[in-house]
Amino acid sequence: MEGARRGKRNRLLEFLVERALFASALFSAVAVAFIILFLFRESLPIFLGPGLLDFVLGAAWNPVGSPPLFGALPLVAGTALVTLGAMVFAIPLGVATAVFVSELSPKGWKPLLKLCVEILAGVPSVVYGLFGLVVLTDWIRVSFAVPTGESWLAGSVLLGVMSLPTIISVSEDAISSVLREHKEASLSLGATKWQTIWRVVLPSARSGITAAVVLGMGRAIGETMAVMMVTGNAAVIPSPITNVFSPVRTITGTLGIEMGEVAFGSMHYSALFGLAVLLFVIVLVVNSAALFLLRHRQAGAFGAGRGMVSRAKSFLSGNMVLLAGLAVVALAGMSSRALAASLLVAFALLYLLLTRLRRQWTEKIAFGAMGASFLLVACALAVIIYYVFSNGLPAITPEFLSGFPGNSGRAGGILPAIIGTVYLVAGAIAIALPLGVGAAVYLAEYSRGGRIVSVVRAGIDNLNGVPSIVFGLFGFAFLVIFLKLGVSLLAGQLTLALMVLPTIIRTSEEAIKSVPNSFREGSLALGATKWQTVWRVVLPPSVPGILTGVILGMGRAAGETAPIMFTAAVFSQRALPSSELEPVMALPYHIYLLATSVPGAAGNAYGAALVLLVLVLGMYGFTALIRAGFSGRRNW
Amino acid sequence: MPVSSAFLLAALLLSGCIGGGSGNRVLRVSGSTTLLPVAEKAAQEFMAGNPGVDVSVNGGGSSAGIKAVGEGMADVGMSSRDVKPDDFAQYPGLKVFAVARDGIAVIVNPSNSVSSLTLEQVRGIYNGSYADWGEVGGSGGQIVLVGRDSTSGTREFFTGAVMRGGGYAPAMLEKNSNGGVQQTVSQTPGAIGYVGLGFAGSGVKAVGISANRTVVYPTVAAVLSREYPVSRDLYLVTNGEPDGLESAFIGFLLGPQGQELVGEEGFVPLR
Repeated sequence: MEGARRGKRNRLLEFLVERALFASALFSAVAVAFIILFLFRESLPIFLGPGLLDFVLGAAWNPVGSPPLFGALPLVAGTALVTLGAMVFAIPLGVATAVFVSELSPKGWKPLLKLCVEILAGVPSVVYGLFGLVVLTDWIRVSFAVPTGESWLAGSVLLGVMSLPTIISVSEDAISSVLREHKEASLSLGATKWQTIWRVVLPSARSGITAAVVLGMGRAIGETMAVMMVTGNAAVIPSPITNVFSPVRTITGTLGIEMGEVAFGSMHYSALFGLAVLLFVIVLVVNSAALFLLRHRQAGAFGAGRGMVSRAKSFLSGNMVLLAGLAVVALAGMSSRALAASLLVAFALLYLLLTRLRRQWTEKIAFGAMGASFLLVACALAVIIYYVFSNGLPAITPEFLSGFPGNSGRAGGILPAIIGTVYLVAGAIAIALPLGVGAAVYLAEYSRGGRIVSVVRAGIDNLNGVPSIVFGLFGFAFLVIFLKLGVSLLAGQLTLALMVLPTIIRTSEEAIKSVPNSFREGSLALGATKWQTVWRVVLPPSVPGILTGVILGMGRAAGETAPIMFTAAVFSQRALPSSELEPVMALPYHIYLLATSVPGAAGNAYGAALVLLVLVLGMYGFTALIRAGFSGRRNW
Repeated sequence: MPVSSAFLLAALLLSGCIGGGSGNRVLRVSGSTTLLPVAEKAAQEFMAGNPGVDVSVNGGGSSAGIKAVGEGMADVGMSSRDVKPDDFAQYPGLKVFAVARDGIAVIVNPSNSVSSLTLEQVRGIYNGSYADWGEVGGSGGQIVLVGRDSTSGTREFFTGAVMRGGGYAPAMLEKNSNGGVQQTVSQTPGAIGYVGLGFAGSGVKAVGISANRTVVYPTVAAVLSREYPVSRDLYLVTNGEPDGLESAFIGFLLGPQGQELVGEEGFVPLR
């Protein structure tokens, strides 16, 4: 009797738990659909009024002219040019660094090198922007003797550096997963190590590397703060089109600059949401392409180099490289003869190197180049960290950490900004953690495939690709205005929670899946129910993995500016926030304002950047420790 | 299990303790970046004299400030432009209070040899007719145009008063604050910008506006006497008659202490 009642209660609990987990898994898909719908709703007037074609292909963006012009073409061109420029050096540098880390680095160094790449990924966008604004643009202006350094080039350099971690880590994954037998076969046939890398490893990893590049592009296209701070934001298409010193304005930069001030409900407001839709679609296409490539990696890896078709393909791709090279030279020729000539010489040398030289020499030179690439990446990291530390340390005093800002942030401290960031991050995680872990448990333990699960997965993938500024717009239009939360802590926490949700789901799911099946079977065989098994057996060993995801999410939430600048953050505050409906100060937004709006506050901007950097990198370091600590203790 | 549930609990507790209110009365001020430093200082002194009141001050621009007040997202808006019939049509309850006067200074890098320009020259520079400092009496070098973003009240005023409603050269760099313009001009030898009087000080040189062979520099005296041609009023805005706290803050800014702050920040007091 007693047993029967308990059985019934258990069945009810099981049923409720499964429904709840399913609901949290569905949340991401619903959120993405809702974001798209809401962006569309707000942008409807611009698409219905001037029309889609006039909007996308209109040649001038002048929202306050008479008549106002809402042509997105210069902005799309700006985004495309800045991204292309970034890829020109990020691709070779990133892939070469990945080869170095994966194949050439001294034994035992690999984890350290990967940590370097992770740190590079952890530097907040606004810190890159601060560096770019104060150091890079000035350097460009002086070195190239141009009137201003705020330019396409500055944007490309920053974006290139920022997309490097993505390119390196995904390429490195692809290169490392090339079968050892393939490499050994090549070496045993007498090929040098370099020949093996060039002819066997890289072709096998081709689709993975392509995916890495495409993901890096997606990152670059969606980036807001750093770009907005260094490109000058003039809505012009460079003339001639190769003039890298021309200022440009990207889609994200336009949103970042104009969204905060636009009159609610005006055509300009609608046009900005139209831009967000455009950005969303572009990033969606790019990221879908990368996901497609990654999922079909296996097929590419084994097909490469075999049969007439693939030989024809590789011939074609060889020619494509040649054509691309010539196109670059031709483009360069339009802006400067000397540049074109030196590029031609460089290409000729490269060609000689790859075909004519003795292969031992080729190998030495190639390895040197790979090592140099890695050194360059490490240097970029070192330079940025050095600048932040050397300029920020003098500002760090007990008063700075515990005081309130005065004189527009030039004096006083940053306590409310630190506290505000802590509140934002804590709230975002408190919201995202149950949802994320619930979704992960459902996907790993309960789902049996099928259409709904693929919808959920697509939702998570897409949510992960949404540019941070789009989250900001959505949070502003939906949470701040539509739900009347106002610019508030709560609106910021919800927006950030949406943003970190995919990270938490992915890492948690991986952690849960890595628990051996025999554990589950043992528990079930002892008569435990499914939920009891999940709660008592599967989740406890997954905690370190889940924690890693949570801390990565915290690092990301702490460093982001774009999602909070319209939803939660204010310039100054005398008292700490006392309710969820009050606005807060936040470190990244404070840095942004000090750097761009308050002359003479560079010292405090660096100080705040140092605090933010230490906070974020500290969290990343913590995850590294967790991984190191727990991977040793696992003995199944 | 204990670890994971303890972690969950901690996260929930952490978010819970943020939720508790302390019962302070809150006044949200937002809008024009021109007025921002004045409002910030006024807020500090106002809070010092009124314990239990929190004043949060935020920029965002004049249009944003008016919008925020109209939508109830802020209590007091700051505007560096007149409140337009369009604004009143959208938010009929808006009440406007002039709190200071301001001149728009045309600024150049201190290394620039140009010390005065006519309004026609400034207009020609900004609409792209002049591209080189040599054309307006300088020692040569490309002019780098620095202006404000399209929703700025300062830009709107400049468009009317200097550009006579005409357009800008497309290559103008756009900054979203007075401080941003000042900073860029101070770092860029060939740059020209326009900012509120309070931002025309350090690191940049304010050029005089010449008309009929006399040059007027943007100074407090010249703005007050209306000799300086490019000047305007700065306003605080409320939705409906200001309530107790709003009216106390506006009263503070209009009172002797507030007007002294206006002067300290480089603007022109009304009295």
